[in-house]
Amino acid sequence: MEFINVIIKYIPLFLPAAWMTIQITVLGITIGVLLGLAGAFLRISDKWWVNAIARIYIFVIRGTPLLLQLFIFFYVLRQALSLDSMTAAFLALGLHNGAYITEIFRGSIQSIDHGQMEAARSLGMSYPRAMIRIILPQAFKRSIPPLGNQFIIALKDSSLASAITINEVLLQAQRLAAANYKMLEMLTIAAIFYLFYTSIFTWLVNRLEAWLNVDSK
Amino acid sequence: MLRIENLHKSFGDLQVLEGIDLQVKKSEVVVIIGASGSGKSTLLRCINFLEYSDQGKIYIEGQLLNEKNEREINQMRARVGMVFQHFNLFPHKTVIENVMEGLTQVRKISKFEAKKIAYKYIEKVGLTDKEKVYPAMLSGGQKQRVAIARALAMEPVVMLFDEPTSALDPELVGEVLLVMKELAREGMTMVVVTHEMGFAREVADRVIFMDDGQILEVGTPEDIFDRPQNERSQAFLSAII
Repeated sequence: MEFINVIIKYIPLFLPAAWMTIQITVLGITIGVLLGLAGAFLRISDKWWVNAIARIYIFVIRGTPLLLQLFIFFYVLRQALSLDSMTAAFLALGLHNGAYITEIFRGSIQSIDHGQMEAARSLGMSYPRAMIRIILPQAFKRSIPPLGNQFIIALKDSSLASAITINEVLLQAQRLAAANYKMLEMLTIAAIFYLFYTSIFTWLVNRLEAWLNVDSK
Repeated sequence: MLRIENLHKSFGDLQVLEGIDLQVKKSEVVVIIGASGSGKSTLLRCINFLEYSDQGKIYIEGQLLNEKNEREINQMRARVGMVFQHFNLFPHKTVIENVMEGLTQVRKISKFEAKKIAYKYIEKVGLTDKEKVYPAMLSGGQKQRVAIARALAMEPVVMLFDEPTSALDPELVGEVLLVMKELAREGMTMVVVTHEMGFAREVADRVIFMDDGQILEVGTPEDIFDRPQNERSQAFLSAII
Protein backbone atom coordinates (compact mmCIF):
# COMPACT_ATOMS: atom_id res chain seq x y z
CA MET A 1 0.00 0.00 0.00
CA GLU A 2 2.85 2.28 0.95
CA PHE A 3 4.33 1.58 -2.52
CA ILE A 4 1.18 2.76 -4.29
CA ASN A 5 0.86 5.81 -2.05
CA VAL A 6 4.39 6.87 -2.94
CA ILE A 7 3.66 6.45 -6.62
CA ILE A 8 0.46 8.51 -6.43
CA LYS A 9 2.23 11.18 -4.46
CA TYR A 10 5.13 11.51 -6.89
CA ILE A 11 3.32 11.24 -10.23
CA PRO A 12 2.54 15.01 -10.40
CA LEU A 13 6.25 15.75 -10.01
CA PHE A 14 6.84 13.85 -13.28
CA LEU A 15 4.46 15.92 -15.37
CA PRO A 16 6.98 18.52 -16.67
CA ALA A 17 9.39 15.68 -17.52
CA ALA A 18 6.59 13.75 -19.23
CA TRP A 19 5.85 16.82 -21.30
CA MET A 20 9.52 17.03 -22.22
CA THR A 21 9.51 13.39 -23.34
CA ILE A 22 6.52 14.06 -25.57
CA GLN A 23 8.11 17.16 -27.07
CA ILE A 24 11.43 15.65 -28.04
CA THR A 25 9.73 12.48 -29.29
CA VAL A 26 7.18 14.25 -31.44
CA LEU A 27 9.72 16.72 -32.81
CA GLY A 28 12.19 13.89 -33.39
CA ILE A 29 9.58 11.80 -35.22
CA THR A 30 8.47 14.76 -37.32
CA ILE A 31 12.02 15.44 -38.46
CA GLY A 32 12.54 11.72 -38.92
CA VAL A 33 9.50 11.41 -41.19
CA LEU A 34 10.58 14.39 -43.30
CA LEU A 35 14.12 13.07 -43.59
CA GLY A 36 12.71 9.61 -44.27
CA LEU A 37 10.57 10.88 -47.15
CA ALA A 38 13.51 12.76 -48.65
CA GLY A 39 15.82 9.80 -48.05
CA ALA A 40 13.41 7.36 -49.68
CA PHE A 41 13.27 9.47 -52.83
CA LEU A 42 17.06 9.57 -52.94
CA ARG A 43 17.16 5.81 -52.39
CA ILE A 44 14.85 4.98 -55.30
CA SER A 45 16.65 7.28 -57.71
CA ASP A 46 18.40 5.52 -60.55
CA LYS A 47 21.26 8.01 -60.46
CA TRP A 48 23.96 6.21 -58.50
CA TRP A 49 25.36 9.29 -56.78
CA VAL A 50 21.93 10.39 -55.55
CA ASN A 51 21.39 6.92 -54.23
CA ALA A 52 24.85 6.99 -52.65
CA ILE A 53 24.00 10.06 -50.55
CA ALA A 54 21.12 8.18 -48.91
CA ARG A 55 23.15 4.99 -48.55
CA ILE A 56 25.97 6.79 -46.77
CA TYR A 57 23.48 8.52 -44.45
CA ILE A 58 21.88 5.20 -43.55
CA PHE A 59 25.24 3.47 -43.23
CA VAL A 60 26.58 6.02 -40.77
CA ILE A 61 23.43 6.47 -38.68
CA ARG A 62 22.45 2.83 -38.46
CA GLY A 63 26.02 1.80 -37.84
CA THR A 64 26.59 4.01 -34.79
CA PRO A 65 24.73 4.13 -31.45
CA LEU A 66 22.12 6.79 -30.84
CA LEU A 67 23.90 7.70 -27.61
CA LEU A 68 27.03 8.56 -29.59
CA GLN A 69 24.95 10.66 -31.97
CA LEU A 70 23.39 12.48 -29.03
CA PHE A 71 26.87 13.18 -27.66
CA ILE A 72 28.00 14.60 -31.00
CA PHE A 73 25.03 16.93 -31.07
CA PHE A 74 25.38 17.87 -27.42
CA TYR A 75 29.15 18.26 -27.03
CA VAL A 76 30.14 19.29 -30.56
CA LEU A 77 27.30 20.69 -32.63
CA ARG A 78 25.46 22.39 -29.79
CA GLN A 79 28.34 24.80 -29.28
CA ALA A 80 29.25 25.12 -32.94
CA LEU A 81 25.67 25.93 -33.93
CA SER A 82 24.75 27.49 -30.57
CA LEU A 83 21.73 25.24 -29.99
CA ASP A 84 20.02 24.64 -26.68
CA SER A 85 20.12 21.13 -25.21
CA MET A 86 16.58 20.29 -26.16
CA THR A 87 17.16 21.25 -29.78
CA ALA A 88 20.30 19.13 -29.84
CA ALA A 89 18.27 16.22 -28.45
CA PHE A 90 15.41 16.29 -30.92
CA LEU A 91 17.70 16.97 -33.88
CA ALA A 92 19.75 13.90 -32.97
CA LEU A 93 16.59 11.83 -32.52
CA GLY A 94 15.22 13.08 -35.82
CA LEU A 95 18.41 12.35 -37.73
CA HIS A 96 18.58 8.90 -36.16
CA ASN A 97 14.98 7.98 -36.91
CA GLY A 98 15.20 9.44 -40.40
CA ALA A 99 17.61 6.69 -41.41
CA TYR A 100 15.24 3.94 -40.32
CA ILE A 101 12.17 5.68 -41.73
CA THR A 102 13.99 6.11 -45.06
CA GLU A 103 14.19 2.36 -45.32
CA ILE A 104 10.56 1.93 -44.22
CA PHE A 105 9.33 4.33 -46.91
CA ARG A 106 11.67 2.91 -49.56
CA GLY A 107 10.44 -0.60 -48.81
CA SER A 108 6.79 0.33 -49.03
CA ILE A 109 7.23 2.36 -52.23
CA GLN A 110 9.06 -0.50 -53.86
CA SER A 111 6.47 -3.00 -52.66
CA ILE A 112 3.78 -1.35 -54.82
CA ASP A 113 3.20 -3.45 -57.91
CA HIS A 114 5.03 -2.06 -60.92
CA GLY A 115 1.79 -2.24 -62.89
CA GLN A 116 0.46 0.70 -60.86
CA MET A 117 3.15 3.00 -62.18
CA GLU A 118 2.67 1.65 -65.69
CA ALA A 119 -1.07 2.17 -65.56
CA ALA A 120 -0.61 5.75 -64.35
CA ARG A 121 2.04 6.49 -66.98
CA SER A 122 -0.08 4.91 -69.71
CA LEU A 123 -2.79 7.48 -68.92
CA GLY A 124 -0.22 10.16 -69.69
CA MET A 125 0.75 11.11 -66.14
CA SER A 126 4.27 12.37 -65.53
CA TYR A 127 6.47 10.40 -63.14
CA PRO A 128 6.10 12.86 -60.23
CA ARG A 129 2.35 13.05 -60.67
CA ALA A 130 2.04 9.27 -60.81
CA MET A 131 4.12 9.08 -57.64
CA ILE A 132 1.98 11.58 -55.77
CA ARG A 133 -1.43 10.42 -56.99
CA ILE A 134 -0.98 6.67 -57.29
CA ILE A 135 2.14 5.25 -55.67
CA LEU A 136 2.61 7.28 -52.49
CA PRO A 137 -0.94 6.96 -51.12
CA GLN A 138 -0.70 3.19 -51.41
CA ALA A 139 2.86 3.09 -50.12
CA PHE A 140 2.00 5.31 -47.17
CA LYS A 141 -0.75 2.94 -46.14
CA ARG A 142 1.65 0.02 -46.23
CA SER A 143 4.22 1.90 -44.21
CA ILE A 144 1.87 2.51 -41.27
CA PRO A 145 2.57 -0.68 -39.28
CA PRO A 146 6.39 -0.46 -39.44
CA LEU A 147 6.17 3.30 -38.97
CA GLY A 148 4.09 2.83 -35.82
CA ASN A 149 6.69 0.42 -34.57
CA GLN A 150 9.44 2.94 -35.28
CA PHE A 151 7.51 5.65 -33.41
CA ILE A 152 7.38 3.45 -30.33
CA ILE A 153 11.11 2.81 -30.60
CA ALA A 154 11.67 6.57 -30.93
CA LEU A 155 9.61 7.22 -27.83
CA LYS A 156 11.64 4.81 -25.76
CA ASP A 157 14.90 6.01 -27.31
CA SER A 158 14.09 9.51 -26.12
CA SER A 159 15.10 8.28 -22.65
CA LEU A 160 18.71 8.33 -23.87
CA ALA A 161 18.45 12.11 -23.95
CA SER A 162 18.74 11.88 -20.16
CA ALA A 163 22.45 11.39 -20.81
CA ILE A 164 22.68 14.89 -22.25
CA THR A 165 20.92 16.61 -19.34
CA ILE A 166 17.45 16.64 -20.86
CA ASN A 167 15.07 16.40 -17.95
CA GLU A 168 12.74 13.84 -19.42
CA VAL A 169 10.95 11.02 -17.61
CA LEU A 170 13.91 8.76 -16.93
CA LEU A 171 16.27 11.50 -15.71
CA GLN A 172 13.51 12.83 -13.48
CA ALA A 173 13.13 9.36 -11.96
CA GLN A 174 16.85 9.20 -11.26
CA ARG A 175 16.93 12.68 -9.80
CA LEU A 176 14.02 12.12 -7.47
CA ALA A 177 15.34 8.74 -6.38
CA ALA A 178 18.70 10.30 -5.54
CA ALA A 179 16.90 12.51 -3.06
CA ASN A 180 14.24 10.16 -1.63
CA TYR A 181 16.02 6.78 -2.01
CA LYS A 182 12.86 5.28 -3.53
CA MET A 183 14.46 3.99 -6.71
CA LEU A 184 11.93 1.20 -7.40
CA GLU A 185 8.95 3.52 -7.01
CA MET A 186 10.47 6.25 -9.18
CA LEU A 187 11.43 3.81 -11.94
CA THR A 188 7.95 2.32 -11.75
CA ILE A 189 6.44 5.74 -12.34
CA ALA A 190 8.75 6.22 -15.33
CA ALA A 191 7.63 2.82 -16.66
CA ILE A 192 3.98 3.80 -16.18
CA PHE A 193 4.50 6.91 -18.31
CA TYR A 194 6.22 4.97 -21.07
CA LEU A 195 3.51 2.31 -21.07
CA PHE A 196 0.85 5.00 -21.16
CA TYR A 197 2.50 6.68 -24.14
CA THR A 198 3.14 3.48 -26.07
CA SER A 199 -0.50 2.44 -25.51
CA ILE A 200 -1.71 5.71 -26.94
CA PHE A 201 0.67 5.38 -29.91
CA THR A 202 -0.45 1.85 -30.60
CA TRP A 203 -4.09 2.84 -30.41
CA LEU A 204 -3.54 5.81 -32.73
CA VAL A 205 -1.66 3.69 -35.27
CA ASN A 206 -4.39 1.04 -35.21
CA ARG A 207 -7.05 3.67 -35.72
CA LEU A 208 -5.12 5.18 -38.60
CA GLU A 209 -4.68 1.78 -40.17
CA ALA A 210 -8.37 0.97 -39.89
CA TRP A 211 -9.28 4.35 -41.27
CA LEU A 212 -6.96 3.97 -44.28
CA ASN A 213 -8.21 0.48 -44.88
CA VAL A 214 -11.50 1.59 -46.36
CA ASP A 215 -10.59 0.04 -49.68
CA SER A 216 -9.85 -3.23 -47.85
CA LYS A 217 -7.38 -4.81 -50.18
CA MET B 1 -2.93 5.89 -87.76
CA LEU B 2 -0.12 3.83 -86.28
CA ARG B 3 3.08 3.01 -88.11
CA ILE B 4 6.04 1.08 -86.80
CA GLU B 5 9.27 0.86 -88.75
CA ASN B 6 12.13 -1.53 -88.17
CA LEU B 7 11.63 -1.85 -84.42
CA HIS B 8 14.38 -3.61 -82.48
CA LYS B 9 14.44 -4.38 -78.78
CA SER B 10 16.61 -6.57 -76.64
CA PHE B 11 16.79 -7.28 -72.94
CA GLY B 12 20.50 -7.78 -72.30
CA ASP B 13 21.62 -10.47 -74.72
CA LEU B 14 18.10 -11.55 -75.47
CA GLN B 15 16.80 -10.12 -78.72
CA VAL B 16 13.05 -9.75 -78.25
CA LEU B 17 12.05 -7.77 -81.33
CA GLU B 18 14.00 -8.09 -84.54
CA GLY B 19 12.93 -5.49 -87.03
CA ILE B 20 9.17 -5.16 -86.73
CA ASP B 21 7.28 -3.25 -89.42
CA LEU B 22 3.59 -2.70 -88.92
CA GLN B 23 0.90 -0.33 -90.06
CA VAL B 24 -2.51 -0.06 -88.52
CA LYS B 25 -5.20 1.90 -90.30
CA LYS B 26 -7.97 3.88 -88.65
CA SER B 27 -10.77 1.64 -87.34
CA GLU B 28 -8.74 -1.44 -88.03
CA VAL B 29 -8.61 -4.29 -85.52
CA VAL B 30 -5.26 -6.04 -85.56
CA VAL B 31 -4.83 -9.13 -83.45
CA ILE B 32 -1.35 -10.36 -82.64
CA ILE B 33 -0.96 -14.03 -81.86
CA GLY B 34 2.04 -16.20 -81.12
CA ALA B 35 3.65 -18.32 -78.45
CA SER B 36 4.78 -16.94 -75.09
CA GLY B 37 8.07 -15.14 -75.46
CA SER B 38 7.50 -14.36 -79.11
CA GLY B 39 7.64 -10.62 -78.39
CA LYS B 40 3.93 -9.77 -78.75
CA SER B 41 3.58 -7.99 -75.44
CA THR B 42 6.91 -6.23 -75.80
CA LEU B 43 5.83 -4.91 -79.19
CA LEU B 44 2.66 -3.53 -77.66
CA ARG B 45 4.55 -1.98 -74.75
CA CYS B 46 7.04 -0.37 -77.12
CA ILE B 47 4.20 1.41 -78.91
CA ASN B 48 3.41 3.58 -75.89
CA PHE B 49 6.97 3.55 -74.58
CA LEU B 50 6.42 1.46 -71.50
CA GLU B 51 9.47 -0.19 -73.00
CA TYR B 52 11.98 1.83 -74.93
CA SER B 53 13.00 0.25 -78.21
CA ASP B 54 16.68 0.13 -79.14
CA GLN B 55 16.08 1.11 -82.71
CA GLY B 56 13.17 1.92 -84.97
CA LYS B 57 10.51 4.54 -85.49
CA ILE B 58 6.97 4.84 -84.22
CA TYR B 59 4.44 7.19 -85.78
CA ILE B 60 1.03 7.88 -84.29
CA GLU B 61 -1.35 9.83 -86.50
CA GLY B 62 1.61 10.66 -88.71
CA GLN B 63 3.67 12.10 -85.86
CA LEU B 64 7.09 10.57 -85.31
CA LEU B 65 7.58 10.08 -81.59
CA ASN B 66 10.78 11.19 -79.99
CA GLU B 67 11.48 9.04 -76.93
CA LYS B 68 13.73 11.72 -75.45
CA ASN B 69 10.87 14.19 -75.21
CA GLU B 70 9.09 13.24 -72.01
CA ARG B 71 6.31 15.76 -72.55
CA GLU B 72 5.59 14.50 -76.01
CA ILE B 73 5.53 10.91 -74.78
CA ASN B 74 3.07 11.82 -72.02
CA GLN B 75 0.83 13.60 -74.50
CA MET B 76 0.96 10.58 -76.80
CA ARG B 77 0.16 8.19 -73.94
CA ALA B 78 -2.93 10.21 -73.13
CA ARG B 79 -4.19 9.46 -76.64
CA VAL B 80 -3.26 5.78 -76.64
CA GLY B 81 -5.40 3.59 -74.42
CA MET B 82 -3.74 0.63 -72.76
CA VAL B 83 -5.41 -2.33 -71.13
CA PHE B 84 -3.22 -4.67 -69.11
CA GLN B 85 -3.37 -8.35 -68.40
CA HIS B 86 -3.57 -7.72 -64.66
CA PHE B 87 -5.96 -4.75 -64.95
CA ASN B 88 -3.76 -2.48 -62.80
CA LEU B 89 -6.69 -0.59 -61.37
CA PHE B 90 -5.82 1.86 -58.62
CA PRO B 91 -6.92 0.00 -55.46
CA HIS B 92 -7.20 3.14 -53.34
CA LYS B 93 -9.73 4.70 -55.69
CA THR B 94 -13.31 3.77 -56.40
CA VAL B 95 -14.45 2.67 -59.84
CA ILE B 96 -15.52 6.14 -60.87
CA GLU B 97 -12.38 7.71 -59.40
CA ASN B 98 -10.28 5.25 -61.41
CA VAL B 99 -12.01 6.32 -64.59
CA MET B 100 -11.84 10.03 -63.70
CA GLU B 101 -8.15 10.02 -62.77
CA GLY B 102 -6.72 10.54 -66.24
CA LEU B 103 -9.39 13.09 -67.08
CA THR B 104 -8.75 15.34 -64.11
CA GLN B 105 -5.00 14.80 -63.76
CA VAL B 106 -3.88 14.63 -67.37
CA ARG B 107 -6.55 16.23 -69.48
CA LYS B 108 -7.24 18.79 -66.74
CA ILE B 109 -10.99 18.49 -67.06
CA SER B 110 -13.01 19.79 -64.11
CA LYS B 111 -14.22 17.22 -61.61
CA PHE B 112 -17.79 17.90 -62.54
CA GLU B 113 -17.24 17.30 -66.25
CA ALA B 114 -14.92 14.35 -65.62
CA LYS B 115 -17.61 12.66 -63.56
CA LYS B 116 -20.08 12.92 -66.41
CA ILE B 117 -17.61 11.51 -68.92
CA ALA B 118 -16.52 8.75 -66.54
CA TYR B 119 -20.11 7.78 -65.89
CA LYS B 120 -20.76 7.50 -69.60
CA TYR B 121 -17.96 4.98 -70.03
CA ILE B 122 -18.84 3.05 -66.88
CA GLU B 123 -22.31 2.73 -68.35
CA LYS B 124 -20.81 1.59 -71.62
CA VAL B 125 -19.03 -1.33 -69.95
CA GLY B 126 -22.18 -2.13 -67.99
CA LEU B 127 -21.08 -1.29 -64.44
CA THR B 128 -23.32 1.59 -63.43
CA ASP B 129 -24.22 -0.10 -60.15
CA LYS B 130 -20.54 -0.39 -59.22
CA GLU B 131 -19.35 3.19 -59.67
CA LYS B 132 -18.79 3.80 -55.97
CA VAL B 133 -17.14 0.52 -54.98
CA TYR B 134 -13.43 -0.19 -54.68
CA PRO B 135 -11.72 -2.54 -57.13
CA ALA B 136 -11.19 -5.15 -54.41
CA MET B 137 -14.95 -5.75 -54.42
CA LEU B 138 -15.09 -6.56 -58.12
CA SER B 139 -14.66 -9.82 -60.04
CA GLY B 140 -11.80 -10.10 -62.51
CA GLY B 141 -14.09 -9.53 -65.45
CA GLN B 142 -15.56 -6.44 -63.84
CA LYS B 143 -12.10 -5.12 -63.04
CA GLN B 144 -11.03 -5.49 -66.62
CA ARG B 145 -14.16 -3.72 -67.81
CA VAL B 146 -13.36 -0.81 -65.47
CA ALA B 147 -9.82 -0.79 -66.87
CA ILE B 148 -11.26 -0.56 -70.37
CA ALA B 149 -13.56 2.27 -69.29
CA ARG B 150 -10.58 4.06 -67.72
CA ALA B 151 -8.69 3.88 -71.01
CA LEU B 152 -11.73 4.79 -73.12
CA ALA B 153 -12.55 7.84 -71.03
CA MET B 154 -9.38 9.46 -72.36
CA GLU B 155 -10.98 9.21 -75.81
CA PRO B 156 -7.96 7.52 -77.34
CA VAL B 157 -7.19 7.27 -81.04
CA VAL B 158 -6.06 3.69 -80.63
CA MET B 159 -6.53 1.06 -77.93
CA LEU B 160 -3.82 -1.44 -77.04
CA PHE B 161 -4.90 -4.64 -75.30
CA ASP B 162 -2.17 -6.73 -73.69
CA GLU B 163 -3.67 -10.19 -73.12
CA PRO B 164 -6.78 -8.66 -71.53
CA THR B 165 -8.42 -11.98 -70.72
CA SER B 166 -5.42 -14.13 -69.78
CA ALA B 167 -5.74 -13.52 -66.05
CA LEU B 168 -9.48 -14.19 -65.95
CA ASP B 169 -11.41 -17.24 -64.91
CA PRO B 170 -12.86 -18.87 -68.02
CA GLU B 171 -16.44 -17.91 -67.20
CA LEU B 172 -15.46 -14.22 -67.00
CA VAL B 173 -13.70 -14.00 -70.35
CA GLY B 174 -16.91 -13.58 -72.31
CA GLU B 175 -18.04 -10.33 -70.70
CA VAL B 176 -14.70 -8.66 -71.48
CA LEU B 177 -14.63 -9.90 -75.06
CA LEU B 178 -18.17 -8.63 -75.49
CA VAL B 179 -17.10 -5.10 -74.56
CA MET B 180 -14.16 -5.37 -76.94
CA LYS B 181 -16.35 -6.59 -79.79
CA GLU B 182 -18.69 -3.68 -79.24
CA LEU B 183 -15.73 -1.30 -79.45
CA ALA B 184 -14.54 -2.86 -82.66
CA ARG B 185 -18.02 -2.56 -84.10
CA GLU B 186 -18.06 1.14 -83.29
CA GLY B 187 -14.89 1.62 -85.28
CA MET B 188 -12.26 1.88 -82.56
CA THR B 189 -8.74 1.26 -83.81
CA MET B 190 -7.42 -1.65 -81.79
CA VAL B 191 -4.24 -3.67 -81.45
CA VAL B 192 -4.92 -6.77 -79.41
CA VAL B 193 -2.47 -9.35 -78.10
CA THR B 194 -4.51 -12.37 -77.16
CA HIS B 195 -4.80 -16.12 -77.05
CA GLU B 196 -8.54 -15.92 -77.75
CA MET B 197 -8.58 -17.36 -81.26
CA GLY B 198 -12.37 -17.19 -81.47
CA PHE B 199 -12.19 -13.45 -80.88
CA ALA B 200 -9.40 -13.08 -83.46
CA ARG B 201 -11.36 -14.96 -86.06
CA GLU B 202 -14.57 -13.09 -85.44
CA VAL B 203 -13.36 -9.53 -84.90
CA ALA B 204 -9.92 -9.07 -86.43
CA ASP B 205 -9.43 -7.35 -89.74
CA ARG B 206 -5.91 -8.65 -89.78
CA VAL B 207 -4.13 -11.29 -87.76
CA ILE B 208 -0.41 -11.18 -87.19
CA PHE B 209 1.56 -14.22 -86.22
CA MET B 210 4.75 -13.47 -84.30
CA ASP B 211 7.56 -15.82 -83.45
CA ASP B 212 11.02 -15.12 -82.03
CA GLY B 213 10.65 -11.37 -82.27
CA GLN B 214 9.58 -11.34 -85.90
CA ILE B 215 6.33 -11.08 -87.77
CA LEU B 216 6.17 -14.35 -89.68
CA GLU B 217 2.76 -14.07 -91.19
CA VAL B 218 0.10 -11.41 -91.72
CA GLY B 219 -3.32 -11.93 -93.19
CA THR B 220 -7.06 -11.99 -92.77
CA PRO B 221 -8.33 -14.36 -90.09
CA GLU B 222 -9.27 -16.82 -92.83
CA ASP B 223 -5.75 -16.68 -94.29
CA ILE B 224 -4.10 -17.28 -90.96
CA PHE B 225 -6.45 -19.81 -89.40
CA ASP B 226 -7.54 -21.77 -92.47
CA ARG B 227 -4.53 -21.51 -94.77
CA PRO B 228 -1.43 -20.70 -92.73
CA GLN B 229 1.58 -20.54 -95.03
CA ASN B 230 4.43 -20.49 -92.60
CA GLU B 231 5.58 -23.74 -91.04
CA ARG B 232 5.77 -22.29 -87.57
CA SER B 233 2.37 -20.67 -87.70
CA GLN B 234 0.98 -24.00 -88.85
CA ALA B 235 2.61 -25.71 -85.90
CA PHE B 236 1.40 -23.06 -83.44
CA LEU B 237 -2.16 -23.12 -84.71
CA SER B 238 -2.43 -26.88 -84.83
CA ALA B 239 -1.19 -26.98 -81.24
CA ILE B 240 -3.83 -24.60 -79.89
CA ILE B 241 -6.92 -25.21 -82.00
